[in-house]
Amino acid sequence: MAAWWFWPLFLFIFTLVIGIISPVSGVGGGVLYVPLATVLTPFSVDFIRGAGLVMAVVSALSSVPYLLKKGLANIRLYAVIAPIMVITSVIGGIVGLWVSNALPNGKYYVKLLLGVIILLVFFIMITSKRLEFPEVRDEDVDSWSRKLGIVGEWYEPSLDRIVQYKIKNLPVGMLMFGVIGFVAGMFGLGAGWANVPLLNIVMGAPIKVATATSMLIITANAPAIGIYLAKGAILPVVVVPSILGITIGARIGAKVAEVIRPAFVRWLVIGVLFLAGVLNIIKGLEGLGYLPQII
Amino acid sequence: MTEKIDVDPMALAFAKIMTIFTIIGIVLMVVPAILYFMGQNQYIPLSKAMDYWHESTVDFWKDVKGITVHGYDWVFENLQYTDCQSMIGVLLLMMTPLISMLAAAAKAPNKTYAILLLIASAEFILSIILKGIF
Repeated sequence: MAAWWFWPLFLFIFTLVIGIISPVSGVGGGVLYVPLATVLTPFSVDFIRGAGLVMAVVSALSSVPYLLKKGLANIRLYAVIAPIMVITSVIGGIVGLWVSNALPNGKYYVKLLLGVIILLVFFIMITSKRLEFPEVRDEDVDSWSRKLGIVGEWYEPSLDRIVQYKIKNLPVGMLMFGVIGFVAGMFGLGAGWANVPLLNIVMGAPIKVATATSMLIITANAPAIGIYLAKGAILPVVVVPSILGITIGARIGAKVAEVIRPAFVRWLVIGVLFLAGVLNIIKGLEGLGYLPQII
Repeated sequence: MTEKIDVDPMALAFAKIMTIFTIIGIVLMVVPAILYFMGQNQYIPLSKAMDYWHESTVDFWKDVKGITVHGYDWVFENLQYTDCQSMIGVLLLMMTPLISMLAAAAKAPNKTYAILLLIASAEFILSIILKGIF
């Protein structure tokens, strides 16, 4: 058996690598961390989910101030969505821990569900298109967005001009954000994988605004950390090396992103995501006795 | 062309507070954790934890400390230990969006936004109280 320090060291290196490939591929760190760490490390899925949530929130807290000052993250949109996501992410956190602790074989059900969610993320990523500057005509803007004055602007260097934008389908978006908050809280995944397509394709936010506002929205998942902490599911031995690794890795990744071909890395990550989803489903089915022990 | 844009004062207030509290939170989390890894004042002995960290949280705490964890007492009643001190940083990071929202509410452009941010803040606080029930 390895010494205790092996696993925090492993987590540090593992999250360092995730931190490097995240900005290059556009895939959030949490969505790779939770399924892979569940399969690759001996830590219970409870501790991994707790650390995944802290990682997602800290990454968001670190980048959001800059994005707000640049006009990319929209705080008016956040003010509307936060009251919904705060409460649904907490309910998700409670349900996730209840399933793994109170039900017989609960942790295997969580692994199975996690695998299904990861495969769903995989399909969203390979099928969704990214719209750089979606056209939202005046008549497309819903009455709620209009009344609340949800508009914004930022300076786009590639166009050398200030881009202004409007939002549509706010009521539908609010409903969908409720569901996303629940899933994010339950599995400690962060929610960028779902926030970005929703903001971009359904609500008509330009892709840069969608990505930045998604980071802002992820901070609304922070109360779910309390649920994990209150259940003793946050341990320094898992959380601290993971936070340090992803923080340092993301800084390296931002520089690597300038020189590497993003499309190649993006497909590599999507492949890893598919593998992680399948492995979690197999492990869940093994634990529940539906499959013989194969991994 | 300049890149001068109009940024919501509500957004600037939010960003400023978030920057300050995130830095403090990370420092409060990492410094005691380093001491913990060096073997100083451990509430959860690492050498023992590694035998049980594959278990669900309930079984882990039963086997390592002989207790059932419910709420934040395990942190606040053991602040002499470095691992529990590290959790104070995590708690502050958790509270940072709440503090930022309150700062933004004070700069809201109208009552609707102030109320929405205060509702989200109230839910934040409610969720922290709910941990005692669940």
